[in-house]
Amino acid sequence: MTRYQRRKLANQVALGLSLAATVCGLAWLAAILITLLTQGLSALTADLFTQMTPPPGSRGGLLNAIYGSFIMTALATLIGTPVGILAGTYLAEYSRGSRLAEVIRFINDILLSAPSIIVGLFVYEIVVVRVGHFSGWAGALALAIIVVPVVVRTTEDMLRLVPDSLREAAAALGAPKWRAVVQISYRAALQGIVTGIMLAVARISGETAPLLFTALNNQFWSTDLNAPMANLPVVIFQFALSPYSDWQSLAWGGALLITFVILTLNIGARVIASWSTVKR
Amino acid sequence: MTGIAASSGFEARIGYWARSQKRYDTAFRLGTALFALLVLVLLGGVIVALVDGAAPALAKFKLGFLVTEEWNPVTDEFGALAPIYGTLVTSAIAMLIAVPISFGIALFITELCPPWLKRPIGTAIELLAGIPSIIYGIWGLFVLAPLLQETAQPLLIESLGSLPGVGFLFAGPPLGIGVFTAGLILAIMVLPFIASVMRDVFEAVPALLKESAYGLGATTWEVVWSVVLPYTRSGMMGGIMLGLGRALGETMAVTFVIGNAHRIHASLFAPGTTISAALANEFAEATTDIYLSSLVALGLILFLITFSVLVLAKLMLQRLQRGLGT
Amino acid sequence: MTAILSPARPSDALPPLARPAVPPAGHAPGAVPDPAVKADIRNVRFFYKKFEAIKNISLPLYDRRVTAFIGPSGCGKSTLLRMLNRIYTLYPEQRAEGEILIDGRNALAADYDINLLRAKVGMVFQKPTPFPMSIYDNIAFGIRLYEKPPAAELDVRVEEALQRAALWNEVKDKLRQSGLGLSGGQQQRLCIARAIALRPEILLLDEPASALDPISTSKIEDLIHELRSDYCIAIVTHNMQQAARTADYTAFMYLGELVEYDETATIFTKPGKKQTEDYVTGRFG
Repeated sequence: MTRYQRRKLANQVALGLSLAATVCGLAWLAAILITLLTQGLSALTADLFTQMTPPPGSRGGLLNAIYGSFIMTALATLIGTPVGILAGTYLAEYSRGSRLAEVIRFINDILLSAPSIIVGLFVYEIVVVRVGHFSGWAGALALAIIVVPVVVRTTEDMLRLVPDSLREAAAALGAPKWRAVVQISYRAALQGIVTGIMLAVARISGETAPLLFTALNNQFWSTDLNAPMANLPVVIFQFALSPYSDWQSLAWGGALLITFVILTLNIGARVIASWSTVKR
Repeated sequence: MTGIAASSGFEARIGYWARSQKRYDTAFRLGTALFALLVLVLLGGVIVALVDGAAPALAKFKLGFLVTEEWNPVTDEFGALAPIYGTLVTSAIAMLIAVPISFGIALFITELCPPWLKRPIGTAIELLAGIPSIIYGIWGLFVLAPLLQETAQPLLIESLGSLPGVGFLFAGPPLGIGVFTAGLILAIMVLPFIASVMRDVFEAVPALLKESAYGLGATTWEVVWSVVLPYTRSGMMGGIMLGLGRALGETMAVTFVIGNAHRIHASLFAPGTTISAALANEFAEATTDIYLSSLVALGLILFLITFSVLVLAKLMLQRLQRGLGT
Repeated sequence: MTAILSPARPSDALPPLARPAVPPAGHAPGAVPDPAVKADIRNVRFFYKKFEAIKNISLPLYDRRVTAFIGPSGCGKSTLLRMLNRIYTLYPEQRAEGEILIDGRNALAADYDINLLRAKVGMVFQKPTPFPMSIYDNIAFGIRLYEKPPAAELDVRVEEALQRAALWNEVKDKLRQSGLGLSGGQQQRLCIARAIALRPEILLLDEPASALDPISTSKIEDLIHELRSDYCIAIVTHNMQQAARTADYTAFMYLGELVEYDETATIFTKPGKKQTEDYVTGRFG
């Protein structure tokens, strides 16, 4: 074999392996989705959306958990999004060349990938311990803390994409900075910011670890945010690890539901993001 | 158009307006700054809360906490060695598997893939990153673990289990769940994170650099190996560290499949535990204050480990950016 | 004459170079006989960090006249324009010194309210900068900054501005559509309309036609001619024919200094300096 043939062979082997790696990565995704569909579809009955989580051995659904997840996710988004947007605004609009902003950006990126269970512990220490019991509020707060860094990051990135010429044009009309930001920069970066919020919602709607010691769980229908609150991820966790097959089946149904919501949010976010690039 | 803003009238009309706008401006600036500072406060708060919660356990067990394997709620004796060991070993397995695969995927997307396939594949990989860890957990428990128990594990035990030197790693019965399975699930979970950072890093290589290597007659692989890799070394490391940070702190996927045993077994097929799995499993059951405090201390250790790894990751990625900037 | 009309003008504080002896009388038949100084630029310097981009320049801008700034890239002409509405303050590393007296008040002074200054001094940029909102809102944005006119009056103001900018006929049926959907030339006229909707007194045009095709360019030039009777206009341009066609006065700048300032006809036919002559005849730059 000549040297050139050897080189070509090495190239083909390497590229073949890279193709195999990609197939392998995609295969996981397919395997997970297929399992979810085969196991979960049978559990997707009307009961799932209308009945409460049952005791083992009896029929039931996930209504209280769906409700709890929805409420806590919504609250967390409502709390975390404004905080994230304002902080991101500071980083993008008000902190040219500032050391402080660099530190904040760095810390925010760390928080972005920090283990979510740590956030749960933190909220447990500052809320649950002080108040004396688990609660829906604590769960929402933990999720909000996860939302913040995601929204900070995307808001900053998207505002940075707004060309300075637009800021100059607003300033040249005598617009005060805050109006230029609110009426021009936000509007120009709208799709991007919405994308970020959707990704953040997708992220928290599947989070389990931070809810374990904050919202805990609740077997019954409860709208009281001061009491432990049922939520899909923790119910899935509990039911999947249980020895009862009807609980396991409900867990699969919940898993399919969550995955469906999250993938929809993810894909929707991408679609919205692509609109904005088309327009520019 | 004779009355173009008669100067004095114009200014009198909006002088008040201008003053109030100035106040709004200051308020908005300070408001955003306040929320930006909140990010710092959050991090500080996490550290303070964890240290505060962990204090009783650290006071009682001192540094011995780090090197004691025993974890006994009955006698209130706690040591963090087993979960630390489990955390490090599962993450190491995950990285061993995920890094080469991620590299392959990034290579495929940037160098091989036909343009029309780039987006779908990239999106699919990113969707994999979006799937919540609890789904990986339940899938790992019900699909992957039984599969491994029947196929891969017996095979590995038979083939590698009797090898001198490394055999002990693959000894024992094939249980399905255990450290090895947890590592594998983690690998699948962090793979998309590493792959997408690597892809971005590869795409940041100036086309000119690659073209000049191709111009010398180099093959795709040679260009990647001798031009792209050296150029992107620190960015790649950053991506790997980012994935490692994820793997170390991942909770639910691991909790499902690791078996939750506070033991250090030589065999990778034996059950074990990680810091986050211990927290997830035992927090609600912790009855005594010292038990609870020991769990928080575990959390603190996890936080310190992931924090350092993530800081390293960030610094490496920044170095790459700066390198590209010049 | 000029000195009497604008009492703020310190007639002898400036180097003689910076002043044409007599304002051109025949240039605009029927207009105000003698122009008054609207903005008096006095000994200004400008710094990007340490780099001195403008080195001690003085010249007047006359009301209801067009003054063009020409010179090779990097000569500081845009920078000088950007001082007039202090737009540079968006960037903390940029700094100006000296005085620009607008109607006698120093616009560079910290106590001159920056937003009021910019309401009075409108600016149009090199690239069209329509805001990501409807055509109507683009114009109304500026008006709404300062006043809250009733809807009917706002409609009138928007129409007036679009008429002035010679854009009304092209957009009157699609006022609610996004301003981003207009062509480049239309976008630029939209930006001019947006600036004049505020009824400013000075209009700064920073290479307003350099990104446009020839037809749009000539529309913009016609527009400048139209607006000349009401505003003090300063225009930066790369295109010497444009300066010759549109401006009453022309200032030639080079490396941050004002080389020559005079009536446009003089600059282009018998410039006082060799450097100017070389530039306007295309021998360098």
